Amino acid sequence: MDPQLTSIIVPSEEIAHIEECLSRLVDDTGSDYALLLDKSGQVISSKGDGDRQDITALGALIAGVFASTREVAKLLRERDFRASFQQGVRENIFIALIEEQWILCIIFNKGTHIGLVKVLTKKATDELASVLERVRQQHKARDEVLGSSFRTSMEDTIDLLFRD
Amino acid sequence: MALINVAAREIHCKIVYYGPGMCGKTTNLQYIHSQVPKDVKGDLLSIATETERTLFFDFLPLDLGKVRGFQTRFHLYTVPGQVLYERTRVAVLNGADGVVFVADSNKAKMQENVNSLKELAQNITRQNKRFAEFPIVLQYNKRDLPREVLAPVPTMDHFLGVTRMNWPRIEAVATTGTGVFETLRAISRAVISKL
Ligand SMILES: Nc1nc2c(ncn2[C@@H]2O[C@H](COP(=O)(O)OP(=O)(O)O)[C@@H](O)[C@H]2O)c(=O)[nH]1
Ligand SMILES: [Mg+2]
Repeated sequence: MDPQLTSIIVPSEEIAHIEECLSRLVDDTGSDYALLLDKSGQVISSKGDGDRQDITALGALIAGVFASTREVAKLLRERDFRASFQQGVRENIFIALIEEQWILCIIFNKGTHIGLVKVLTKKATDELASVLERVRQQHKARDEVLGSSFRTSMEDTIDLLFRD
Repeated sequence: MALINVAAREIHCKIVYYGPGMCGKTTNLQYIHSQVPKDVKGDLLSIATETERTLFFDFLPLDLGKVRGFQTRFHLYTVPGQVLYERTRVAVLNGADGVVFVADSNKAKMQENVNSLKELAQNITRQNKRFAEFPIVLQYNKRDLPREVLAPVPTMDHFLGVTRMNWPRIEAVATTGTGVFETLRAISRAVISKL
């Protein structure tokens, strides 16, 4: 099967690493929120002020905006485009790419200096890149994680929920 | 590629509705949103121009609940169809697990359908994925059009190369919902067969 089509399976211990990394980033920068997304827009993990209700939509939008900005960069023949910064009145957003697969996003306010965010984000992306590398290496069998009857159960659920 | 979070016991899949402008992609999502149970759907997010045309994408998160202990989420997107937005389509397609290609059954739209499908093939290939193995379902939408303008199914099959590619193909009228869920079931099955 095409390796590009197989799932990315993030095991519990790596999720723990990711959470630790995001927490540290939020604490050390005094940011409001840090969020790790897959490039598809799905939220892998998030840390920060309370539970955001809108996190799913936020993930979809941020990934979409970032992917668009990269397309803009390509048109401008800018090859190595890996980060973006959006400045708002209250909140700022800094977004950095991890190995073309994950997107790290930090939301912070006036109290935090962008320079600090950049430096610490760089550290965090290096760390997350090694997590991603390990995740890609392990090739855990799908059946080992999901169980062999998962697909059949999934099909039953689909037939039940997506009916006319 | 789908994302499986073992700690949170979650599975995420991304499905994109692709096709030429005005073929009925947004209508598909609107119908799904209007029909699925409340606890399954999130809000339908549409980034549209003032004239209601899709500018960036529509987004509908669906939560299928627990399957064998895994919380399963499907995220549905549409792309803006107009030729102008080619780069935006590339952005929305990023990381998709499967595509519903919505074709317009209007005879006058055949060339647009073909061009859009070609572009899709290019964009999938550019993501380093093999187009032939990528989960795709074809939807022939607007089957309610008057006979004078309605393209016969075999004609559409021929133009779009369906027989060669072995894609599931579903006739639909998205405005009334005919074929909409059949399409969603077909693409969901195609995507999970690759999990
Ligand atoms: N006759 C007919 N019109 C449709 C059908 N599906 C969508 N439309 C109409 O086609 C137009 C474009 O639909 P829309 O979903 O916005 O297209 P999109 O550009 O692909 O998102 C709207 O006026 C819809 O009401 C259909 O099955 N039959
Ligand atoms: Mg639309």
